[in-house]
Amino acid sequence: MSIQDDIKAAIAKALQDIPCVIGWGAGPEPLRATPLFMRNAADVENFTAGFLAVNNPALYLPSCKGVKTALVVKGCDARSVGQLVAENLVKRDELYLIGYPCSGVIDVDKVAARLEGKCEPGEVTRLREENEDVILDTPGGEVRLAKKDIAADKCARCRYPNAESADVFIGEKRAPVVDQDEYADLADFEKLSLEERKAFWEKELSRCIRCYACRNACPLCVCRDHCVASSREPHWLTQADGVRDKLFFQLIHATHLAGRCTGCGECERACPVGIPVLTLKRAFSRQVEDMFGYMAGIDVNTTPPLLTFRLEEPEIKEREW
Amino acid sequence: MSVLNTKELRIIGFLCNWCSYGGADTAGVGRFTQPTDLRVVRVPCSGRINPLFILKSLLGGADGVLVSGCHPRDCHYAEGNFYARRRLELLKGFLPVLGIDPRRFEYTWVSASEGQRWQHVVEAFTAQIHGLGPARGWPEAPELEILNAVAR
Amino acid sequence: MRIGVFICHCGSNIAGTVDCAAVAAKAATYPDVAYATDIMYACAEPGQDAIIAAIKEHQLSGVVVASCTPRMHEPTFRKTVERAGLNRYMFEMANIREHVSWIGKDIEANTNKAAELVRMAAAKLRLNKELKPKSFPVTKRLLVVGGGVAGIQAALDAADAGLEVILVEKQPTIGGKMAKLDKTFPTVDCSSCILGPRMVDVAQHPNITLYAYSEVESVSGYVGNFDVKIRKKASYVDWVKCTGCGLCTEKCPARKSYDRFNEGVGPTTAIIIPFPQAIPKKASIEREHCRLLTGGKCGVCAKVCPTGAINYAMEDEIIEARVGGIVAATGYDLIDWKIYEEYGGGRYPDVVTSLQYERMLSASGPTGGHIKRPSDGVEPKDVVFIQCVGSRDPSIGRPYCSGFCCMYTAKQAILTKDHIPDSQSYVFYMDIRSPGKGYDEFTRRVQEEYKARYIRGRVSLVYPKGNKLIVRGADTLMGVQVEVEADLVVLAVGAEAASESAKLAEKLRISYDSYGFFMEGHPKLKPVETNTAGVFLAGACQGLKDIPSSVAQGSAAAAKAIGLLSRDMLDSDPQIAFVSANRCVGCGKCIEVCPFKAIQEIDLRGQPKAEVIETVCQGCGLCNATCPQGAIQLSHFTDNQILAEVEALCRF
Repeated sequence: MSIQDDIKAAIAKALQDIPCVIGWGAGPEPLRATPLFMRNAADVENFTAGFLAVNNPALYLPSCKGVKTALVVKGCDARSVGQLVAENLVKRDELYLIGYPCSGVIDVDKVAARLEGKCEPGEVTRLREENEDVILDTPGGEVRLAKKDIAADKCARCRYPNAESADVFIGEKRAPVVDQDEYADLADFEKLSLEERKAFWEKELSRCIRCYACRNACPLCVCRDHCVASSREPHWLTQADGVRDKLFFQLIHATHLAGRCTGCGECERACPVGIPVLTLKRAFSRQVEDMFGYMAGIDVNTTPPLLTFRLEEPEIKEREW
Repeated sequence: MSVLNTKELRIIGFLCNWCSYGGADTAGVGRFTQPTDLRVVRVPCSGRINPLFILKSLLGGADGVLVSGCHPRDCHYAEGNFYARRRLELLKGFLPVLGIDPRRFEYTWVSASEGQRWQHVVEAFTAQIHGLGPARGWPEAPELEILNAVAR
Repeated sequence: MRIGVFICHCGSNIAGTVDCAAVAAKAATYPDVAYATDIMYACAEPGQDAIIAAIKEHQLSGVVVASCTPRMHEPTFRKTVERAGLNRYMFEMANIREHVSWIGKDIEANTNKAAELVRMAAAKLRLNKELKPKSFPVTKRLLVVGGGVAGIQAALDAADAGLEVILVEKQPTIGGKMAKLDKTFPTVDCSSCILGPRMVDVAQHPNITLYAYSEVESVSGYVGNFDVKIRKKASYVDWVKCTGCGLCTEKCPARKSYDRFNEGVGPTTAIIIPFPQAIPKKASIEREHCRLLTGGKCGVCAKVCPTGAINYAMEDEIIEARVGGIVAATGYDLIDWKIYEEYGGGRYPDVVTSLQYERMLSASGPTGGHIKRPSDGVEPKDVVFIQCVGSRDPSIGRPYCSGFCCMYTAKQAILTKDHIPDSQSYVFYMDIRSPGKGYDEFTRRVQEEYKARYIRGRVSLVYPKGNKLIVRGADTLMGVQVEVEADLVVLAVGAEAASESAKLAEKLRISYDSYGFFMEGHPKLKPVETNTAGVFLAGACQGLKDIPSSVAQGSAAAAKAIGLLSRDMLDSDPQIAFVSANRCVGCGKCIEVCPFKAIQEIDLRGQPKAEVIETVCQGCGLCNATCPQGAIQLSHFTDNQILAEVEALCRF
């Protein structure tokens, strides 16, 4: 029996006393899976895990409040769940988590780049996983790609491939890809001068269409209908179509996630115009880790660092004025 | 309404009512001469300061932002400045990612008795901002062609 | 909205460096400003009347006054607009004096800045909402922290006015520093003769509950209703049973214990009654000196105690009380003078502090009022007093004058002559500061009548030679170096705030300066109030002062507390947080951070929501800055109001 079948069995078992299990099912095209809300055995047949299981199912949790819900989770998904639990936004005892060892998830944009214009990702007719590779059927024949070349960026710095907090874990645990997130992406970005960075964001944000997909994909954006971006009381943001307001929304998002973001990257993946918005959040996360030794979503019993303080802050080197 | 050309830069201060605002008053009562750039927004506590106020100011054209509250342990509300310290420190470290020089934002603690210290802070921070020069603005919304067309 | 703007000249205080008419003209162009003018003195009666008249004539719905700091006159002008029928919160101030006219002379820059500050104030005012206070009942009980002469005075005055008073004293007896003094200047009357009866009054007053050997553990709540926890330290003696007979102190074998009351001039026992007139006159055991409590065998006191009051198993006790107001009267301590290596740094036994000298002079002190050199018990003939030891010395971070040392040194020189008629006193001084009633005459008398030699200059070195101490210093009036052979050197050690005053300030949420002295509400007009409503100051904890001033301030603090607690109900400040329930997602972050536990979770149609407990909220706004969706807002300092001020400057 494959891991996939074992997970299905676990889902079927969970459905005996939980009304809904959230996982992934076949999507509209072979490179994409889609969130799947399983309520009966027929739904479970459509379940798929593995390389295409991109979406973060924790996104749906706050709207399931009060109803016992089961989730199939990757390691990164489990961190989002953990942070929601730590912040009391969902109750752990209302959750049932089915974990499995994740070996990374696809980044369709990288597939497109690898296909080098020979065909569009949408023209791929089939995807098969073969150990550390995937084989794509394209109009021009089979294309074999290494998973690591087309996996999401976050997978290359994955410290938690196994959903450690799962109630049941299917399969054998994988070793972390890295022991420490070195924030190499930020270091690369910071090779730019201050002027270049500003120009970078101006250029990137100029593409923003203010669709708020980044926000809607974020499992920790729990304000939802009450987001300050679309309120007048308080009125933080105008509706003006300038880079300044567009960037300011990203700053609202990033500051609201400071000390909370688990780096799942759903915001960036959801962006239809490819703005690297995760970078802003990771800039905060790196500091939070350095300053407070805190990683969101790992320990549900630790108060998030911006909701507490210490009388002496050894890591805050206040400047003498 | 504009900053005096060539003389001043746009510096916004967020001061807690109980300590730093009082310290600024003490400096005034003592006639401790200070540069004129700073404009003070009075808030009850440094804990009231959402870091987004500072980002809003910096994106909106402020050349520098100064936050000052009660010394740690001396908060009128017992704990507000402890929270503020964490939030403001994170913000300061974040600014370079946006391409904003972190020296454009400083936070400090000045008590109501420290008029001379307030003078020093204002002088030093104003000099620092003048050293950096005017901040480069962020593009505003372009004028909508359609509005121009309607106007025509 | 129709806004009226009034630009105050404050005589020439503002008008001297700000073109007030130009600011008014500029203000007239701001959004919603219906009327703008400049005015000579806005706070004076004609000024206030002009504001009221303008409100009526121009149907103003909000007022901006640009004048001094709102910390000064915001309450004044709020009453003014209220008299004209407006809600008092439909008012804003622009501080164009302390923040503009007084800190620079550039009229162009000042005028421009003043106009911008007015623009900010007007922009905020456009978003102001009418706010109404709620009233709540007051607990008519006063806590006085510190049982020195200032605290005693405050407690007695408040108790005489009919208030219940709780007096908390850290030491086993009240009396404070004054109880240690032999005589007081400039009358040279006996300190314990004038303080003693007051101490007895405290003990006997039906309205006063005294907790000696106790400290304030924590304070929560707010003006009118503070909840205080008092730690009653274990004295190991049941004070209900103890009669103060003193038999235990006579029999205690631990006879080499440090005598805190006597400043270590002589040893004492482990079980003590600090001095004969102590209030309460009860014994207490100093744990670190007690043979039994430190693990050895003893138990003598328990054996001899006629009432069986000794209880070695006693533990600290926490007493809880609710009070309406608090007077802090924690006094001062001497600075650590041993940092002065030039005076021996504590190595020479015959260099003593002024307070140790008081204990030597006192008839009830360890020497029975005989001045004896600590080293050999011999009566000194040449006594050198060194003033300003730790006062007016920026090099050790003590730039201030301690205020009372010149006077007590003069007194001690007189007493020295009284005790030892053939003695000679020498006083090294920087300046003689004697501005009180009868004070300067007193310092003349000590020189002219008692023939003390006053030498204006600093001492550079004290060193031992034989059984003498050589005091080398400058006589700056004569322009020569002098050396005096002294039998005894007395240091007029400067004072600082009591050692744990900062901790108490943090508990009371009042401010303190860099020396630990508590900050008064206003240096001139609110000398006994603090910025925390309901907390008052008395005595040297606010700044060093002598006995008459301490007593005066004790009475003043009591008067303020009596005024406050004479009311049955107080108005709560309506500048507090409020929740928009439809925006609240019930995440509880505001509840988590609130320092006052003023936010609770409620269930609204099955959804968790935050709710502000209005009488508990203190209006800090931490919740507001924490709530991601801005569902909880601080009245009068809402996000939109602060953003309006920012936007007035940035136009963003």
